[in-house]
Amino acid sequence: MTAEKSSTPVECEEFQQQLPEIFDSGVSIADHPHLKTCALCSSLVRDLEYIAAQAKLIMPIHDPSPAVWDNIQSALQQDGKQGKDRA
Amino acid sequence: MIKNTLQTNDSAAPSMPVQPLTSEARPMQQQQRRNPPIAGELTAIANAQQGDGAAFEILYNMHKRRVYSLCLRMLGNVAEAEDLTQEAFLQLHRKIGTFRGDSAFSTWLHRMAVNVVLMHLRKKGLPLVSLEETLEPSQEDGPRKDFGTRDLRLSGSIDRVTLERAVEELPPGYRMVFVLHDVEGYEHNEIAGMLQCSIGNSKSQLHKARMRLRSLLKENAEGGTGA
Ligand SMILES: [Zn+2]
Repeated sequence: MTAEKSSTPVECEEFQQQLPEIFDSGVSIADHPHLKTCALCSSLVRDLEYIAAQAKLIMPIHDPSPAVWDNIQSALQQDGKQGKDRA
Repeated sequence: MIKNTLQTNDSAAPSMPVQPLTSEARPMQQQQRRNPPIAGELTAIANAQQGDGAAFEILYNMHKRRVYSLCLRMLGNVAEAEDLTQEAFLQLHRKIGTFRGDSAFSTWLHRMAVNVVLMHLRKKGLPLVSLEETLEPSQEDGPRKDFGTRDLRLSGSIDRVTLERAVEELPPGYRMVFVLHDVEGYEHNEIAGMLQCSIGNSKSQLHKARMRLRSLLKENAEGGTGA
């Protein structure tokens, strides 16, 4: 199981170890020299960029059950009563 | 580029000050995309600050979905997510008088909700960032993992539901950073502050989360037969 392209596994490993920093650096990763010669890492980068882009589209779709508001209300009423008792 | 570098639009962002507890404001457009202004919100805030219970209920209904979804994604558990949604809104009720409008209300509230969740996890004694996951790249997530796997392009092949399911399968430490950074749009320096870890930790945790997601999604795309 080795990369049969012109890149060696060592080069790939080095590149992939730098990825977290490269992604966050703001520089265009597409210009990285390793990607010009390595199909494996190009495919990896493409997938990771795709995952990050899709994550931004995840929207809030879940609603809490009505019991949550009921509990909030009774907790607030309890607080209010205690406040009055103390006053 | 993966980094959240949406252009800031100065004309749309009149002197937005840095939010409390963050060392760097997020790009304004991103904040607005995540937290668009809601009609009637300002009035409801002002009235709730005066102790108007009906106004507080309006605020709850405006924000319950976002807050609950955030809790649910961070915790992966409905009962806990409901408890902490309740706790976040009770905290909101106590603190709403201190909101001065120097950041978007929703940004302020969501930050409060994140803190409630993190506090809860700390009380449970769960490490927010798993050290062994972070410091020692395991065989599973290490860089060499990719050699020899088939080139199965993900692009265009996953829908949001599939991605959401895969996120649920992430280990808690990975999921936390992924949700905060890629879904909620926090920067690494903010996440490092919230999770009390280094910025480097946050970056590497995020990277491993994405790598794990990639494996999960590929398995999924191959019909669950494994790579
Ligand atoms: Zn490579």
